Amino acid sequence: MALIELKAVSKIYRVGNQQVAAVQDFSLEVETGEFCVLAGPSGSGKTTLLNLIGCLDRPTSGEVWLAGQDVTRAGEKALADIRLNKIGFIFQAYNLIPVLTAAENAEFTLMLMGMAKKNRRQRVLELFSELGLDGLENRKPADLSGGQQQRVAIVRAMVAEPAVILADEPTASLDSQASEELMILMQKLNRERNATFIFSSHDPLVISHARRVIKLLDGHLEQEL
Amino acid sequence: MLYRLALRNIWRNRRRTLLTLSAMIVSSALLILCLGVFSGMLRDLLATATEQYYGHLVISARGYQDDRDLFRYFSDRESLSFLSHTDVILGTSPRLRNFGLLSHRQDSAPAEVLGILPEREKKVTGLQDALVAGTYLSANDHDGVVLGSGLARRLGVAPGAQLVFVTQAADGSIGNDLLTVRGVFRTGDAGHDNSLALVPLIWLQNILTLPGQLHEIAVRTNQPLNAAVLAERFRKRLPDSLEILDWGQMLPEMREVVASYDVSRMIIVTILYIATGLGILNTFFMSVMERTREFGVLKALGMKPGQIRWMVFLETLFMGCLALVCGVVVGVALSLYMARFGIDLSGTLTPITYAGGTILPRLYAVIEPANIIIPAACLLFVSLLAGFFPARRAARMQPIDAIRED
Repeated sequence: MALIELKAVSKIYRVGNQQVAAVQDFSLEVETGEFCVLAGPSGSGKTTLLNLIGCLDRPTSGEVWLAGQDVTRAGEKALADIRLNKIGFIFQAYNLIPVLTAAENAEFTLMLMGMAKKNRRQRVLELFSELGLDGLENRKPADLSGGQQQRVAIVRAMVAEPAVILADEPTASLDSQASEELMILMQKLNRERNATFIFSSHDPLVISHARRVIKLLDGHLEQEL
Repeated sequence: MLYRLALRNIWRNRRRTLLTLSAMIVSSALLILCLGVFSGMLRDLLATATEQYYGHLVISARGYQDDRDLFRYFSDRESLSFLSHTDVILGTSPRLRNFGLLSHRQDSAPAEVLGILPEREKKVTGLQDALVAGTYLSANDHDGVVLGSGLARRLGVAPGAQLVFVTQAADGSIGNDLLTVRGVFRTGDAGHDNSLALVPLIWLQNILTLPGQLHEIAVRTNQPLNAAVLAERFRKRLPDSLEILDWGQMLPEMREVVASYDVSRMIIVTILYIATGLGILNTFFMSVMERTREFGVLKALGMKPGQIRWMVFLETLFMGCLALVCGVVVGVALSLYMARFGIDLSGTLTPITYAGGTILPRLYAVIEPANIIIPAACLLFVSLLAGFFPARRAARMQPIDAIRED
């Protein structure tokens, strides 16, 4: 069974008196350990699809299955539980909590899961070491560079070992060198930890690193490479 | 970590938090001071009425306090010993009273003459502290009198002067005798200052031909605001011919003043805290609105609505508790200062007689638990109430909408 299954999913937004279809009759299967990108120009439906897979939004029609569970009609609390236990998010603007230190940000999801402080700190420090963040544990996000913040965001997304990590334009705020480093790092995590990554991006650099490219246009599948 | 996050969130916008905290601290501190000064005025009012003349409780022959009839007296041998065995009683003073004419040379004035045992009267009333000339009656004084300042002025007398007192005695004869002025008191209560004269009890009993008889026993307790309950307790132990009245029955207007004080206190607390609450509400709404995107991220990470609500609620709780501690410390410190030193306004204001008592021209505070507990509890309640709506808004945000918001 596929890790993620989208069955004839549509998402229609109402803008004033008009209805705009962000995604139309879209089906997709993603297996565990994939490293794929949703590519396409602005407005093609990349972020909408990520939001649907990430249980941040509900489809207007169709079904979304995650790890064998139909999440389409799950309640608020159930969705929060799914997001906590099965999904890791990496945002374009990092979105770290400014009042927490790097380590506290990274261990936030473990705290929500109820893991003991000592254990969660240990797990975070291991990943910090692996991602080259040694010595930055007690720094606030404002004292970190963009690349460092995004790596902390990756630790936050990965630390609870979710079923899938969703990254919306993860390199959009980084320069080309930091973007390249970040992609190599995520490839390494995908390879070594068998972590499933789904990106949305129109950055050729990101697309070039993906093993599977799903090209979108106007909410439809245009091409799959 | 939620507690840590909530605490740190408070200090995100230091200036705004400090301004809001200042408003909360100042409002609660001033309220504690204000209520303390109100209590001081109320205590003055009550004390001038009860501790300068009436006492907190009065035992007298049934009906005597209605018309103060000379013939409604009782024997000083009545068994009232239970009064001296009660720890709430600070003192009892046997009294005999009559009305008559005091004269000095060509001047005369009607007066209320109160026969007392000076040493026992001192334990019930504080007229000895209101002397402006001369001395108080001594225990072995046979024919001394202490007058109100208005009465002394009308008669043109000073300590050492001799007066003639004329009245109708209980046997129908005209009683009269000489008195020597020992002292003059001024209470600020025009009624007492213009007509009251204190004389030795034995002297008055002889003049009125009522040896061993009393009109009343004034009682002072350590629980003046609880006098009605004490009166009820003692009532069962009195002979049928006697009654006991608390100050509220003797001075119904004063009782209304005390009751209205509680209402005024709540009105002041309500008005002040509505204003403070709106300030807190504004601060927390601003704080929540500014963090809309962050709440979206927290929800995306798996935080449940209840946890978000609790986190925002904790922020208001922390601020409320901090303001409460600081407000109480500052308020109690100001009240203690006012209780010890006060402000003397006698240079600009005169005493005002009201509802049987006197509002003295001074500001001083009384520390009462209710005057601290009420502002503190209300501040905490208002903080939590003001935090409720922003917390609910944060909890209800849809993560996708919140993340999209800039």
